[in-house]
Amino acid sequence: MKVLAADPNKCLGCRICEQWCSMFHFRVNNPKKSRISVVRSHETYMDYPFSCQQCADTPCIKACPVKIQALSVDENTGAIKVDEEKCIACGLCVKACPNQAIKKHPTEKHMLICDLCGGDPQCVKHCPGDALFYN
Amino acid sequence: MSKKQGIAGQLLRVDLTTKTVTKEELSIELYLEYIGGRGMAAYFLNKEVDSKTDALGPDNKLIFFNGPFSGTMVPGNNKINVAFKSPLTETYSYALAGGHFGPEIRFAGYDGIIIEGKSEEPVYLWINDDNVEIRPAANLWGKTIAETDHLLKEELAKGKDPHIHVACIGRGGENQVKLACITADVFREFGRGGCGAVMGSKNLKAIAVKGTKDVEVADPQGLMNLVEKVQPNFSVVPKAVVRRKQGTNELVEHINGAGFMCTKNFSEGYAEANKLFEGAKFREAVVFNDAACYSCAIACSKNVAIVSTKYGEVKLEGPEFETLGLLGTNCGLTTWDDVLKVSAVCDEVGLDSITAGGCVALAMECFEKGILTRKETNGLELKFGNGEAMVKLLYMIANREGIGADLAEGPVYAANKWGAPELAIHSKGMTPAVYDPRGAKGMALTYATSPKGAHHMVAPVFGGEMAAGNRFEEAGKETLVRNTQLNFCIVDSLGICATIQNGFSRDDQIEAFKLVTGQEITQAKLLLFAEKLFNMERMFNVKNGFSRKDDTLPKRFTEEPMPNGESKGQTVNLEIMLDSYYALMQWDNNGIPKAEKLKELGIV
Repeated sequence: MKVLAADPNKCLGCRICEQWCSMFHFRVNNPKKSRISVVRSHETYMDYPFSCQQCADTPCIKACPVKIQALSVDENTGAIKVDEEKCIACGLCVKACPNQAIKKHPTEKHMLICDLCGGDPQCVKHCPGDALFYN
Repeated sequence: MSKKQGIAGQLLRVDLTTKTVTKEELSIELYLEYIGGRGMAAYFLNKEVDSKTDALGPDNKLIFFNGPFSGTMVPGNNKINVAFKSPLTETYSYALAGGHFGPEIRFAGYDGIIIEGKSEEPVYLWINDDNVEIRPAANLWGKTIAETDHLLKEELAKGKDPHIHVACIGRGGENQVKLACITADVFREFGRGGCGAVMGSKNLKAIAVKGTKDVEVADPQGLMNLVEKVQPNFSVVPKAVVRRKQGTNELVEHINGAGFMCTKNFSEGYAEANKLFEGAKFREAVVFNDAACYSCAIACSKNVAIVSTKYGEVKLEGPEFETLGLLGTNCGLTTWDDVLKVSAVCDEVGLDSITAGGCVALAMECFEKGILTRKETNGLELKFGNGEAMVKLLYMIANREGIGADLAEGPVYAANKWGAPELAIHSKGMTPAVYDPRGAKGMALTYATSPKGAHHMVAPVFGGEMAAGNRFEEAGKETLVRNTQLNFCIVDSLGICATIQNGFSRDDQIEAFKLVTGQEITQAKLLLFAEKLFNMERMFNVKNGFSRKDDTLPKRFTEEPMPNGESKGQTVNLEIMLDSYYALMQWDNNGIPKAEKLKELGIV
């Protein structure tokens, strides 16, 4: 199964990845709706892309309350699927995530996790710094 | 309310005297007339600020405006414009900053912000989507740009929200130094004309913003298709490719090589020592990674670091070409540690590195000529090339100490006071950029006719002149300068970066305008708008008494032949160029737009 990975040394901080993520999924541009986020540090002078890296041990799924079970692994891509009907945006998965890759939808009551665009991640395709990989 | 038109349709007005915040609706029709950015800001400045207003008084305003593409996926949509009356030049002025500050304002739901009045005590503005607060800033006063950015993010979100963006002033702005800038995202300056001093005069230390709103466009799929088509250009267009590798410092080789790179207060146009700063060597010596503004695939910005015996570790984003030139070669610096250090000092205290370089170079030439002695310089050995003395002088300017207090009023004030007016290299009180106009005559016209003083980006024609092989000719430059002035009125109003034009054509910009706003616009209409804007900017100054007598250049450019290099022997014949330019612009021989021209453009 392929995984999405990022190299901060190559990241330019242009946030074009965020734009494609938001536009592809929502047809609007909103960094807070993007499942990938680029964060600039004024201490290290680096840009860090954060997104789901499809951990083999799925700590987010383990953290999701038994009564809810809103998260599952997509059989085709290995992406973490969010059942938006079941999810109550409790935030336990956010705390469990080692990659700061989960965020709450800014207006709806559910989480946003990278779905790998069904196997053709738009962020990787459009990254002008070749900082994102899917292999 | 869903408005699929790119723009938010909302203006934020902040009165610091009464501490009130109001929101005003903006129509798409107004955007069709004034496009955005520089155009919209000029419209409001002309409407609301008298050109005779005291630039540092409560009646001056800071008018920030995004372009219509801000916060969309349109390439290079990161430039936000601020318009104001300049305390440095006493003219209309504007400045553009890249980075992420402008788009974040758009994500918060605003196209523009008007700051007016004056607070009694230090304050900052916190824009958190619809919630806007004027908050006390006593604890931030006196802090550096980087400290202010850090402290605000701590105060507002315990440092845990990376999506807060801050624009602020340093000690330069607080002390109303007339060459102070406003700095966004620590390293992105609204650089020229002293907007930092205007902000300081209002006791406004910073603007922090966070937005979570959608930016909706008329045709999302069409826009994605357009961007998909355009983006590959940035990896093949030669200018874009070299800017990724070397940043704007790729220009050193060309400008120094052609002998019009500002050197030692513009007394020379070439130096062997300047070759050290060529782009390829810059990359090799100090660059450790690339950085981009929002929505830019070119990434011309460079993060640099050096460990020096004199200064310890110096780390910053920059210096780009104009900073390198004016603070570096123009002050006779010959080492990377000096250039990086003086650049970092300007970043720390918030000074426009171009005019700051002009000020220091003026003081250095005065020192070398015996006009200033160690007595006046507080013991500083202000010879060209003395980086450590320069560091001290820059702090003296920011703190208004000793001769720094003279330079804080601008190079003209200082040169007059010191009895050496001819050594202030300026137009309308503003230091020119790197390009000595003796080596590219069009730049003479650009500097002299600019509405904001000797700023290069009003019409950077030198590249075209070099390509055409006619850089020493005066004839015909009026057309090139006019066309370029109009083009930059459009680019600055669309709110896109000048560099992004290397791959993002006007046809594609026009297509993007339709996909974003749902409104048709044509190149002909854009040019008409640009002409109106440039005449509006001119008229702001005319109403304050400006005319041909102010469209001047220093004698160094018009009378002293270039002493060395590939432009040796050249001087500028400005008057002949002004005659033909005014005629082309349909301005009278005194540089005043003719009544019929103003009527034709709809300017009353």
